[in-house]
Amino acid sequence: MSTRPITILVAALGGEGGGVLADWLVEAALHEGFPAQKTSIPGVSQRTGATTYYVEIFPEKGARPPVMALVPSPGGIDLMAASELVEAGRAMQNAFITPERTTLVASTHRIYATSEKMVPTDGRYDAQKILEAAPKVAQKAVLFDMSRLAQEAGTVINAVLFGAMAGSGALPLPREACEHAIRGAGKGAEASLRGFAAGFAQASGEPSMGSAPVGAASSPRSAAAEIAARTPLPHTHSHRQSDRVRREFPIPLHTLLDEAVARLADYQDPAYAALYLDRIRGVLAVDREAGGEPGGWQLTKEAARLLALWMSYEDVIRVADLKTRASRFARVRKEAAAKEDQIVVVTDYLKPSANEIADILPPAWAERLRRNAGAGRAVKLRTSDVTGFLAMRLTAALKPLRRKSSRFIEEQALIERWLGAIKRLGFAVLDAELSLEIVQCAQLVRGYGETWRKSREAFVNILDTLVENEQAVAKGADALKLAIRNARNAALIYEEAKPAPAVKGKPVIWMKQG
Amino acid sequence: MERSFKAEVARLRLGAGQTFNGEGILAVTKALLQSGVSYVGGYQGAPVSHLMDVLADARELLDELGVHFESCANEAGAAAMLGASINYPLRGAATWKSVVGTNVASDALSNLSSAGVVGGALIVIGEDYGEGASIIQERSHSFAQKSQVWLLDPRPNLTSIVRMVEQGFALSEASNTPVMLELRIRACHVTGSFETKDNVAPKFSRRNPITKPVFNLERIPLPPHNYTQEKLKIDVRLPAALKFIQREKLNEFFDGDLRQVGIVLQGGMYNTTLRALQQIGLADAYGESRIPLYVLNVTYPLLPEEITRFCSGKRAVLVVEEGQPAHIEEAINSILRRADINDPHVIGKDVLPVAGEYTGEVVLNGVAVFLGLTLPDGVDIAAVEAVREGVVQAKKRATELLGAAVPTRPPGFCIGCPERPVFTALKLIEKELGGIHISSDIGCHTFSTLEPFNLGNTVLGYGLSLAAASAMGPNFGKRIITVMGDGGFWHQGLVTGITNAIFRNDDGVLVIMENGYTSATGTQNIPSSPDLSAKEGSPIGIESTLRGLGVKWLERVPNYQVSDVADALRRAMTTEQKGLKVIIADGECMLERTRRERPVKAQQLAAGERVVRTRFGIDDDVCTGDRACIRLSGCPSLTIKDSPDPLRSEPVTTINSGCVGCGLCGEAAHAAALCPSFHRIEVIQNPTGWDRFMDRLRRTVIGALSRRSGFSPTTAAEVGLKADLQRGAK
Repeated sequence: MSTRPITILVAALGGEGGGVLADWLVEAALHEGFPAQKTSIPGVSQRTGATTYYVEIFPEKGARPPVMALVPSPGGIDLMAASELVEAGRAMQNAFITPERTTLVASTHRIYATSEKMVPTDGRYDAQKILEAAPKVAQKAVLFDMSRLAQEAGTVINAVLFGAMAGSGALPLPREACEHAIRGAGKGAEASLRGFAAGFAQASGEPSMGSAPVGAASSPRSAAAEIAARTPLPHTHSHRQSDRVRREFPIPLHTLLDEAVARLADYQDPAYAALYLDRIRGVLAVDREAGGEPGGWQLTKEAARLLALWMSYEDVIRVADLKTRASRFARVRKEAAAKEDQIVVVTDYLKPSANEIADILPPAWAERLRRNAGAGRAVKLRTSDVTGFLAMRLTAALKPLRRKSSRFIEEQALIERWLGAIKRLGFAVLDAELSLEIVQCAQLVRGYGETWRKSREAFVNILDTLVENEQAVAKGADALKLAIRNARNAALIYEEAKPAPAVKGKPVIWMKQG
Repeated sequence: MERSFKAEVARLRLGAGQTFNGEGILAVTKALLQSGVSYVGGYQGAPVSHLMDVLADARELLDELGVHFESCANEAGAAAMLGASINYPLRGAATWKSVVGTNVASDALSNLSSAGVVGGALIVIGEDYGEGASIIQERSHSFAQKSQVWLLDPRPNLTSIVRMVEQGFALSEASNTPVMLELRIRACHVTGSFETKDNVAPKFSRRNPITKPVFNLERIPLPPHNYTQEKLKIDVRLPAALKFIQREKLNEFFDGDLRQVGIVLQGGMYNTTLRALQQIGLADAYGESRIPLYVLNVTYPLLPEEITRFCSGKRAVLVVEEGQPAHIEEAINSILRRADINDPHVIGKDVLPVAGEYTGEVVLNGVAVFLGLTLPDGVDIAAVEAVREGVVQAKKRATELLGAAVPTRPPGFCIGCPERPVFTALKLIEKELGGIHISSDIGCHTFSTLEPFNLGNTVLGYGLSLAAASAMGPNFGKRIITVMGDGGFWHQGLVTGITNAIFRNDDGVLVIMENGYTSATGTQNIPSSPDLSAKEGSPIGIESTLRGLGVKWLERVPNYQVSDVADALRRAMTTEQKGLKVIIADGECMLERTRRERPVKAQQLAAGERVVRTRFGIDDDVCTGDRACIRLSGCPSLTIKDSPDPLRSEPVTTINSGCVGCGLCGEAAHAAALCPSFHRIEVIQNPTGWDRFMDRLRRTVIGALSRRSGFSPTTAAEVGLKADLQRGAK
């Protein structure tokens, strides 16, 4: 067969330097004496949207000029590069990755689309599927977290991606030609070369300098979360409760309960943590009756998790406490990538409303304040300053008074109502799924201000009209389950996701879907 | 300006026998100079912005040659500018994004083509059709036909494009007709090379001005000359054009051995069609096709003689013509019928889609179906089908493996964009006052119609939002809000919308986004741009212009102060005062601001000066994940991550390192009373002695006040953080 062009499609997001990467490719090819061509569709896609760059390299020196294509053809791509995991998935769906000829080089990190981010619960696309599909649809798949390598090399992801493309062996270009192209671009070349080398090493399997290898299927879950999930907790505040957890609860619940107990002892006091364990024992009894052991005590786990969150609800005392911890300042410094000799100033944006102040007052006072509640006052508090810190610490110091506060009393009452319903219906019906539905309703009790108020209202409404409603219960467990689930999901849909407007079609078409 | 074009400008100076390497649109720019243009103008817009940008940076070269260059107020202005070629032998070129720009230009374009030209007039249009397009999908071909402007659609390689620019001027002069050169998005951005010629200084120019006016009543569109002009188009200019096109062989024939069939195609579709033929083994890498091709580098007018010659004796002919209506296909049918040639089947939109971009996949399918229908001898149909089937299978497999389609990722406001907070405020006001009808315009701010804002009910064209609100105002039970950018304001909003609304005393609210540039097209300057140099023009303020027109209710608000913007909107919506209420939303384009400030800060930093870097953060343990903040902002750096708290199964919201510290998230949290997680982080780099002293003092006091000094983790999240920090320290 006669020579044909090597076709390269690069999928990137606006601002990631995809255009520069395409320039490097062409430059490196020309340096080798190969005809090469690139096209792109910058337009408005450069403003953060998904975009592609298409490059063809004709691996034959001194030939007659070939005719190269300006658009990628499905089934006709030799090297598919994606700077983000979902973009690799998009390429699969467009048949730009085929087992006959495509090498896929993609970063495994995620940059979430707006539609994934704006959902109240978890609207993330299941990217694991893309990781699993990659080796099946591509001739060869080279996948790793290039975003991290780029950060470590102090450069942009395009350099690492270029290195990975070269290292994958799918480019008809020697490494020197690629590096020559980067050098020729001048500005920032040193950092780009570092990124290139890191990407090359990772893709070609040569030992890389300094960076730990990342498995092809490494989950995007943060390192901190992973370590947190594995590390046993120090039980400084709650030895007694910890012993109790071991005595009274099955092993699969220990880690979770230890975490919850530590949190609540920290939130209020050891007695509060003990109250928590008393409450969970009630749920465990239901779980045991319903035969929850083989399923790993799912009902108790979910209830334990949600109850711990609920019992450590975020009032101004809690927020002030969290914001003045040494760990918080350490985290902020880390996030801001502040160097040791640099000074970090933290200013908190707070808007405590009269309602939130009333929350921490005794019921009688609270009612008076709520009657004349205004919009609240916006405060920018410099927590890293002595005065700001002091104001926060004084608020946090109100902790012992929390037990007398109006919200504490209300929350405990509602918690008891919820637990009572779980136990009552749980023992009566012995349907673990139904109990779980009721348990999960507690995820509605969260947030701040207006969001919290509306969501909590929906929760109470579910108790009133379904869980504690004789007629609703009389319809049977299956009907009740469904009704609760529907009501819960309806409450989780955010306001803006109202039904589509009557007029169909959008006035402006920005780009082809998919 | 978005970036500097020094390197590109250098390439415009290449002389005879040298090789130009670069993008298609820059090759056009070079070809204009080689053709001896006296003047160039246009209105920016993808994909032809670079032509304007590069020439704006090439003033020195243009001065040497005596070429006049201007950024026109709009496309109508650019087309009218070509009037210089009606009476005088001045070659001129105009450029814009089409079809929208052609729409705006059409008044001048009709008059220009009716009067005819003596100097070559070339219009370079960027056909924004298909993937990546940001405008309504129509083709410019119809304009060429109805106004009798010749339309060139060269093969998308630099040599062909440059040749067609040069021949375009000659064709224009030979037929006294303006000529359009159509380039699709990818052709504008395709890279390649061509052999350059010396630039040609125009015969008449600023350096050698025309001294005598030419008066010719026949060029004025008044009776009876308007009638004469129409006849001239048909009787004189068209035959002259046809003769020129044939003589200069502007269209190309490529022979092949499968003579029973043939393909007629637009020049711009050549590479895509050839790739389809390569995929099914009917062409080689160098363009040798087994099926004969007739490539129309001129898509209007068509040459009946060439068409009948190509089609005669064939069983069937495939017409590859992108866009609709199918002008070329219909014309070919008509030409063959008139010539009494009835054998060849003319197949086009039967096997290719009527609407939409002709991508590689579309053309491959069309060619395959065409071959399946016509069965030319010597083609292995099974092999052709196998190629198609491979693509079908790959898509099916991906669907099986991935399930749901991956989320779409449309373009949106940049990080730190000053327009985003205005829509945050608008969303809050809408919650407060109930649904509002919003008349939107063209610009970056049209992204407000997308998630998470979904604000903006109609878009009627550039600078037309206020005019589009004129009949909605009286027919809607509440004041309506019109959004317009400063680009749209100067493009035509000022006259078409604002002046008339003031004149009629319309009651409405107009929000003008003053970001300083036409930012969606690449931050080109406008009359109200900050820091205009004397060469670029005399600045004109939007506020003073509006005051001069008699706007009584006018407020200027700093965009990032969400509460202030919301307050201004509320006042405008509820005031008793009738008439137009204007809010100028003031915030410079962040792209441009960053570009200006970054090097300065880097320099200060290197010099050891005190520099404060600002960004925002969210406390993981305070965020409960309801995403109200994301739905009010949509900032790309405001995102989500797995919660470090094992008790939370859902992700928490976070701000990533892309944050530029614009402050919107904090202000939105305030304005909407969201949650107390948001904080501003100021990192003082190169702190002064005083900074360090105060910092030590603060830390000592705070350390003494702290419940726990250092930190001993109690929760899993803290354990994780500590481990992370220790790892980082190593």
